Amino acid sequence: MTARHFMDHGQGQSALHRSPAGLKLAIALALVLAVVLLPRTQIAGLFVVAVILTALLVFSRLSFLFLLKRMVLLEPLVLGVAGLMWFQPGGGKIFAAVMVKANLCLLTTVLLANTTPFTELVRVLQRLRVPWLFVTTLTLMHRYLFVLADETERMRRARASRTFTRGRRFQWQTLSSVVGQLFVRASERAERIYSAMTARGWK
Amino acid sequence: MNAIEITNLKYRYHDGTEALRGISFRVSPGECIALLGPNGSGKSTLLLHLNGLLPEKIIGDGAVKISGEALAPENLAKIRRQVGLVFQDPDDQLFCPTVAEDVAFGPQQLGLGEAEIAARVKLALAQVGLPGFEQRFTHHLSHGEKRRACLAGVLACEPAMLVLDEPTSDLDPRGRREFKALLREIPATKLIATHDLEMAVELCPRSIILDHGQIIADGRTVELLADEPLMLAHGLERPHILHHLHPH
Repeated sequence: MTARHFMDHGQGQSALHRSPAGLKLAIALALVLAVVLLPRTQIAGLFVVAVILTALLVFSRLSFLFLLKRMVLLEPLVLGVAGLMWFQPGGGKIFAAVMVKANLCLLTTVLLANTTPFTELVRVLQRLRVPWLFVTTLTLMHRYLFVLADETERMRRARASRTFTRGRRFQWQTLSSVVGQLFVRASERAERIYSAMTARGWK
Repeated sequence: MNAIEITNLKYRYHDGTEALRGISFRVSPGECIALLGPNGSGKSTLLLHLNGLLPEKIIGDGAVKISGEALAPENLAKIRRQVGLVFQDPDDQLFCPTVAEDVAFGPQQLGLGEAEIAARVKLALAQVGLPGFEQRFTHHLSHGEKRRACLAGVLACEPAMLVLDEPTSDLDPRGRREFKALLREIPATKLIATHDLEMAVELCPRSIILDHGQIIADGRTVELLADEPLMLAHGLERPHILHHLHPH
């Protein structure tokens, strides 16, 4: 299996998938801003945002479990930040508020990312005149994530096929060497890509 | 005037490896030449020189001349416009998300207008047999399609010379056959580094054999490849296709 068999995020048939990327980006930004700017005590406001997001979620026809998995994947970051709040006076309440707020923001971005193809988002950023370097970097990152994923998988498989011991420690050692090797290969590839770009007139 | 003129070209990598040790040859406009030789003989290094990607600091000593003009920092852009380089790994070359954007990259760098760019993209994709592939994602293409898309990206710049690095490696027999037919149709001067000796016989009347960074032989492909001792000495072999050719 190669990365090209992975489904592209943001491909789908619902009305939310088909609505213009610019509009979705604007709504997502507005929601995130609202959540960030609302004071902790304004529970009603946060509740309204939550209702809007739930409506959008239903509208997107994405599987709830799928979204939950995505959220859980990013949860350690949220917990890391929110966890620090415990150590303040009155920490429990702040912790709860930060958790709610951060998760609402997270859900917004996860919804946006899974209903909008990445290329369309980048195009919107381009139209908004986001600095050229940033957009190019994003585009290249998206393009080569797939290549790197393939390369990692190939290396992992090649290692696994000649790994006969079951020692945990040995597995960690191989993993670290795969990561190192991947880094070297990625930087060599970056040089070749740069050559290919220059060859076609990049300045 | 020679399309390509190389005079006593030398190159040494940072680690001290001597990749090219005094190479000289000339290519007339419209010629199609196979560059043969074992792995690590310096083929790819030589091809990078034709586009000014090597050496890192161009000195302009006149070792590489394209259309009579010595490669120098001032005329790099002009020379890159004339020489289209197709890299070995298509994933290195297809760096844009969609096929259309990738093919349009070169023309955009040339500063063409949008209508002209769109026309060139359409034409180039038709030329390589990928019409209607504009909106396809480059990472979703098959290997053969990636190769074609790479070629389209270079053809869209309308180069006078095509330089290809192992264009048929990793292709299935049909992909190889189709890619060869495609190359035959392109009128540009072609220099093809390859291990595909059958392709050399079919497409290239002339071959240059490179080993240890030196030119070992330069002559008619059918004659060079029929010379079994020469072939074996340089990691090559006499291709079967020669048995089916009638001597002229």
